[in-house]
Amino acid sequence: MTALKIFGFTILVAAFYSYVGQMVPQKETYPPEDTEMSADMTTEDLVVAGEELVSGKGTCLGCHTMSGETGGRFPDLANVGAVAGDRKQGMDDVEYLAESLYDPNVFVVEGFLPGMPPASQPPIDLNDREILAVIAYLQSLGGTPTVTLDTELSWQSEDLSESGSSAASATGGGQAATGGPAQTATTSLTGEELFQTYLCGTCHSISEPTPMIGPSLVDVGARLSKAEIYEAVMDPDAAITEGFAPGMMSAQLNATGFYERISSQQLRTLVDFLASMEGGS
Amino acid sequence: MTFPTRMTPTRALALLCCALAALFVGWNLVGAVPDALAGALQQQLGEQPEYRTFPVVGSRVAVWVVAQLHLMFAAFVLAVPMFAIIIEFIGYRGGDQRYDDLAYEFTRLLSVSFSFTASLGALLTFFLFILYPGVMDYLLSIFSWTFMLYVGVFFLEAAFLYSYYYGWGKMNKIVHLLLGVGLNIVGIVIIFIADAWLTFMNSPAGIDTSGNLVTIWGAVNNFTWMPINIHRLIANICFGGSIAAAYGAYKFLGAKTPEERAHYDWMGYIGNFIAIIALLPLPFAGYYLGREIYAFSQSLGIALMGGTFSWLFIIQAVLIGNLFLAANYYLWLSMERIHGAERYRKFIKYLLGAITVCFIVWATPHSLVASVEEARAMGGAHHPVLGVLGVMSAKNTAVNILILTTYLSFLFYRRANKEATVSWARTGKAVQFAIFSIAVGIVIFLGIYGYFVEAAVRIGLSVPQVMSVLFAMISIAIIDVFMFKNARVLGPIQWGKIPARAQYTLFFIAITFAWTMALMGYVRSGIRQHWHVYGVMRDTSADAFTPTLGYAANVISVTVLIFFAFIAVVFYLSSLAGKKHEPAAKEVPA
Repeated sequence: MTALKIFGFTILVAAFYSYVGQMVPQKETYPPEDTEMSADMTTEDLVVAGEELVSGKGTCLGCHTMSGETGGRFPDLANVGAVAGDRKQGMDDVEYLAESLYDPNVFVVEGFLPGMPPASQPPIDLNDREILAVIAYLQSLGGTPTVTLDTELSWQSEDLSESGSSAASATGGGQAATGGPAQTATTSLTGEELFQTYLCGTCHSISEPTPMIGPSLVDVGARLSKAEIYEAVMDPDAAITEGFAPGMMSAQLNATGFYERISSQQLRTLVDFLASMEGGS
Repeated sequence: MTFPTRMTPTRALALLCCALAALFVGWNLVGAVPDALAGALQQQLGEQPEYRTFPVVGSRVAVWVVAQLHLMFAAFVLAVPMFAIIIEFIGYRGGDQRYDDLAYEFTRLLSVSFSFTASLGALLTFFLFILYPGVMDYLLSIFSWTFMLYVGVFFLEAAFLYSYYYGWGKMNKIVHLLLGVGLNIVGIVIIFIADAWLTFMNSPAGIDTSGNLVTIWGAVNNFTWMPINIHRLIANICFGGSIAAAYGAYKFLGAKTPEERAHYDWMGYIGNFIAIIALLPLPFAGYYLGREIYAFSQSLGIALMGGTFSWLFIIQAVLIGNLFLAANYYLWLSMERIHGAERYRKFIKYLLGAITVCFIVWATPHSLVASVEEARAMGGAHHPVLGVLGVMSAKNTAVNILILTTYLSFLFYRRANKEATVSWARTGKAVQFAIFSIAVGIVIFLGIYGYFVEAAVRIGLSVPQVMSVLFAMISIAIIDVFMFKNARVLGPIQWGKIPARAQYTLFFIAITFAWTMALMGYVRSGIRQHWHVYGVMRDTSADAFTPTLGYAANVISVTVLIFFAFIAVVFYLSSLAGKKHEPAAKEVPA
């Protein structure tokens, strides 16, 4: 009886703490998404892309405020476009902002401590084009954006004159690339586009209930949870639908280099898309 | 007095299990198994993948749960010898057999726990190499021979532990104590080695910009290595003490005689005393760790305290607040078995009031979860009044006052049945009161001052707050020791005469410690977010996202429940081990 009471008490306390865990805001945080950058972007385009980067991949707003208030741990950026040109003698606003991003601890605004990581290196890992976009956006905060993709900065390491569209690379220097699949133009594709790009439709139908080489996925979202769909993609032989041969899908995906090419973001998009296939329409 | 004299099947199994597990860990870590697995899989899949998927719950949850279970058992196994040897030494120095018996009873829990630790360690190694081969390949390339060293030290740990346990009463006491010292040294080395691996993942060092090893010492001695070492050592003692206290409570509730109740009441008290004494400096070790995280990377620090995980610290505040509340409640209940304690009962309501206020302040979030209408009414996500309490100035102040309040409860307990007889007793009490009041004043003043200065200054204010609290605790304790030397005893402590709810309080403390440990383990690992090795090796698996805190809380609760199910087995098997002798009421110190 005592043992049962202790057992019940333990469950009760653990359940209470679980309950406390449910009472705080619930938010999943995903790796920062890449921003589409192309060689023909105008200054206005850069401002838009820069805004996205500042709140996304750049993680700038984790530390900086943009409210105009003082007293924060890092300088407020609300009016940075207006003051950047006067912050450091001998530097115009573009150079100052570039130095603040590439080598942020060379000059630290009075009243603040050094500590900002270089935006061009992991974990932030913005490339030169993305940094230009961020500078353009920061200029727009109280000032006039002047940056274009032709703007040359002494910190730049890339040849920005390459033509063609490219998505920002998620992989940075060295080991940051380990396990980091090459990001191609498929970065911002929808789930359905990914389904086609990775040739899933060769074996699976998403429009007809009739099986092809593999089972139909028309109602896969109703049959499987997201976790099960993940498993079905990443380890296809873990559970085989009755009537289908094991080993085929994994062999096919390995042969096409699917696992090397797909990023976690794409995988999430693909799984979300498949999970939405509930056979209702 | 009887000691285990023969190798029972249970002990033989435990030893065998431990040896196999250690061998297995070593084999895995040096790469034999990964190579074999890689070979087999390469034949099937063409090349080794970066990740493999664990069925049903996924790879992350599988590794998460097993790692946490392993860490909990490891914490217990490494902590118990630390206080067992001190208790044994007290018994040896004072010639008091009761302390020796108590130390032995604590140590008896280790035998089965060690087997659990080793088995879970082997399972964790298996999971890591199978499910995360890419990550393990990289870590092996950095830490190479330290894995071999770990295996060697693990064998030494087994040798010391079983010699210490089975050698009890069969060898010269000095030799036995030296074995205990050896056991503790080896245990600390084990923690330090394992900490090097895990802290490298959070704050990598000793590598070039491409992630290649430059110096292994640089990789080991990274920013968070020593802070984690210190934090874990102290936290392990907290945790070990609380589990040992829970064992005392478990035995107390099942006790058949007043003598047994007295003995296990005493055991529970000692275990809890160890846990709470270690708890008091733990927040300071936490400050040190937090400071080093910020020193390594402001981004990492802000992800921890101001970003993704900021709400986790509200859950932590509830946990720590509960710990302080329960620890104080247990002390107040304990005072019921002491003649003379009634003199201090009138203060309990004030202590409870102070703890409640501090608890509320600490658990106040900086921003509130509000509907659009509520946010509009408040003028933002910050409540116009409560928002002021949600910042570090208020929280640091609250936790320091909590520590001082708990210290005061302990001081009342300590002197409950004593009356100082020294001539300077009145002056001594006045000095103690003055020191205490000044410390409280400094803590509150600096807390308020923090609202009026820049962030760079505000961050530094926690240091004088902590120092004034530490100074108060140490100086008051020193005065107390001398003041109550040869004190008049008003009555004996009536061990065993304590309500059952006090024992459930001990369980509550143990469960809360376990939950806190799992939560903080999660955040330590979680702040890396989508990085296996922060800024060096990116997580590209399907689990690269950070789950909701509710999801994490559920995983933690399940882990804690599994841990306590295992601990129940440990308690049961330890109870079956040969008893030294029946405890008697007269053998419990007054």
